[in-house]
Amino acid sequence: MTSLPFKNSEPYTLGVELELQVLNSRDYNLTGAAVDLLALLDKAPHPGDIKPEITEAMIEISTNVQHGYAGLLAELTGIRDAMVREAERLNLGIAGGGAHPFQKWQDQRIFAEARYRHIHDLYGYLAKQFTVFGQHVHIGCVSGDAAVRLIHRFSRYIPHFIALSASSPFFQGVDTAFASSRLNSVSAFPLAGHIPFLPDWGAFTDYFQHMRRLQVVESMKDFYWDIRPKPEYGTIEVRVCDTPLTLERAAALAEYARALARYLSEDNPLEPSADVYLVYGYNRFLACRFGLEAEVIDPYERRKRLLSEEIGYTLGLVARCASDEAGSAALSRLRDVASTRRGDSVLLREQLTQTKSLSDVVRWAAGLWMHGEAGDHRG
Amino acid sequence: MDLNFLPRFPPSLGDVSIIALILLAGLGTGELFRRVLLLPRISGYVLAGVLLGPGTFGVLDRPMLEGAQLLLDIALGLILFELGSRLDWQWFRRNRWLLASSVAEIALSFTLVCVVLTLLHVPWLHAAIAAAIGVATGAPVLLVVIHDQRADGPLTDRAVNLTALNNVFSVVAVTMLLAFLHLEYRPGVTILLLQPLYLLLGSTLLGYLASLILVLLARWLGKREDLQFILLVAMVLLTVGIAKALQLSMLISLLALGVMASNRDRGRDLLPVEFGATAQVLFVVLFVITGAAVTLGDLATGAGIALAYVFARFAGKLLGVALFSRRSGLPARKAGLLGLMLMPMSATAVAMVQATSRYYPQFGERLGAVVLGAVLILELAAPLATQLALRAAGETHPDARWR
Repeated sequence: MTSLPFKNSEPYTLGVELELQVLNSRDYNLTGAAVDLLALLDKAPHPGDIKPEITEAMIEISTNVQHGYAGLLAELTGIRDAMVREAERLNLGIAGGGAHPFQKWQDQRIFAEARYRHIHDLYGYLAKQFTVFGQHVHIGCVSGDAAVRLIHRFSRYIPHFIALSASSPFFQGVDTAFASSRLNSVSAFPLAGHIPFLPDWGAFTDYFQHMRRLQVVESMKDFYWDIRPKPEYGTIEVRVCDTPLTLERAAALAEYARALARYLSEDNPLEPSADVYLVYGYNRFLACRFGLEAEVIDPYERRKRLLSEEIGYTLGLVARCASDEAGSAALSRLRDVASTRRGDSVLLREQLTQTKSLSDVVRWAAGLWMHGEAGDHRG
Repeated sequence: MDLNFLPRFPPSLGDVSIIALILLAGLGTGELFRRVLLLPRISGYVLAGVLLGPGTFGVLDRPMLEGAQLLLDIALGLILFELGSRLDWQWFRRNRWLLASSVAEIALSFTLVCVVLTLLHVPWLHAAIAAAIGVATGAPVLLVVIHDQRADGPLTDRAVNLTALNNVFSVVAVTMLLAFLHLEYRPGVTILLLQPLYLLLGSTLLGYLASLILVLLARWLGKREDLQFILLVAMVLLTVGIAKALQLSMLISLLALGVMASNRDRGRDLLPVEFGATAQVLFVVLFVITGAAVTLGDLATGAGIALAYVFARFAGKLLGVALFSRRSGLPARKAGLLGLMLMPMSATAVAMVQATSRYYPQFGERLGAVVLGAVLILELAAPLATQLALRAAGETHPDARWR
């Protein structure tokens, strides 16, 4: 039996992946132009990595390993600027947001690559429904054991990241009443959910090998978990965030994840508990549905708490774990978001009320992503 | 016995039945093309027109065709409006090389056709006007194929934008060259400048005024697709009517209407044009009637010239877009596909020949002999080329069928 080696990496290093929307500049619907954009970006110098995703109107950017907030934001900005330059040559818009408000999933074309074709053959319409846009945050861990323990501790905080990033209130042209509708698309997959409650890397490796023998999975990629270990990078990968409307918010969320990971690992405030997974699915739903207005269940204290207050409190606790000055400023801006409860989904709904047009909402979102036309919206 | 309740024999078919005939013939031939020849339906519509038209079997005579003019005007009006509204100035501003490729494509297709025709002993003014007409890509074919295949993507947008510009150039150039012709008949330099100026400024002003009303009323109506379609048809017809009454250019007025309506529409009150089933009815009429304007005889008399015209024009367009393709952000393969997409010629070219004939019958006839053969070839072949190019570019809708 092959083992599952975990690359030991420097703790609390971080990296970010963002899935972005490729838009036409006529009505700001999604447009299958990622191939053309990628062709231009291949020749243009840029930091990080830019890749295709499952459908042709999606594009994924990822950073290198970063040590702190400032470096992360600088690299993301560099990637964004290169992308915007080439997108403008092709008359395309680029936007964040967890879901495109009015695209129709059946309009999407699967990216011509064996892996995506396979997913489409296997999952049928779910593959095209998966035209949603998420942010993944990688956090370095010293060992597999540390990674597994960190995931169990981190799981309790998953609603924080859902609510702070929620930016997909509209889906297929309707208001879903959710702050993040995107995670509902993820939940449809059979291997979505969370990691089983296992104590260490050895136990996890046994579990993985067993699942492989049962032919449920072939590789770690087949698990669509909210947080999963990424042994080849030596990281845990937090996958619940919607792609926020701005680059700055994306970097701030990564910084929060990093600071929280450090706090949880170094201060050991909580022991991993199976109870976390008893309330997990329900809390996850509450955060998706109500965003920062949610009241979630605290599995340790066994009572309901206002999510926005809990986030503010936790951000206070982890403030001293910020990677740098800019990082701690970013964390305090996240605190403002939590206390005012004005996340991206709220702003998107306000835009719709103002303009009465989902096209205009997307145009506004593209302006935010591409040029940081911030208004009252900051990281 | 008094039988005057019975119709006279043969009964004369009114406009209503003529349109039914046009639709049925178009529908039948179109489906035959699709099912048997595996070709786009548009080519079938055109062939139906050619066969029914006065030049071939003569089932449709000129008065009958004029009876269908109203539908033709709405169809062409909607198409030109859409072409105008999809023109995106910002793109040309952000990507100057795109503008360069537009200029190159226009200049090269004009020059090459001009040169080739002159080499074939076509008099220079005929050659120049024929070339100027050929600069315009047939918007009806391009846009109807795009809608039919539900195509969307950077290459589609590029083709549409280049088409808008080459159509504007074409009308202006033809008008100016016609003024030269005018000069040959009746000397006077003022007319050389005044007519194109009147046409250009007058039509733009008309389009501008119509766009003001359109945007204002659209705001008042709100974002209701059905209501806005009615409004659009009304404004298109109003523009066509006034353009005709004032002897302005219908094409420029409608393009201006589209361009200005979409550019002035800061509040985004106008919804994008959706061509539903109703519009499809109009397009069948448009293509059948365009076909009826051409006869197989046009091709027989000047097949050599027509082919030379088609190839010179294609070479010019291909070369033009290939020249700055890399710099304007277009891979070489896609530049080739773009060249194919710019190939169509259609109703607007026919309309220009007809307009010339109205003023200068003799000249128009000779011009028609050069241009209409090429129009026929391209009406039949270009829908296929455009559709192939869109498919190869991967910009058609996943559910859009080939046939």
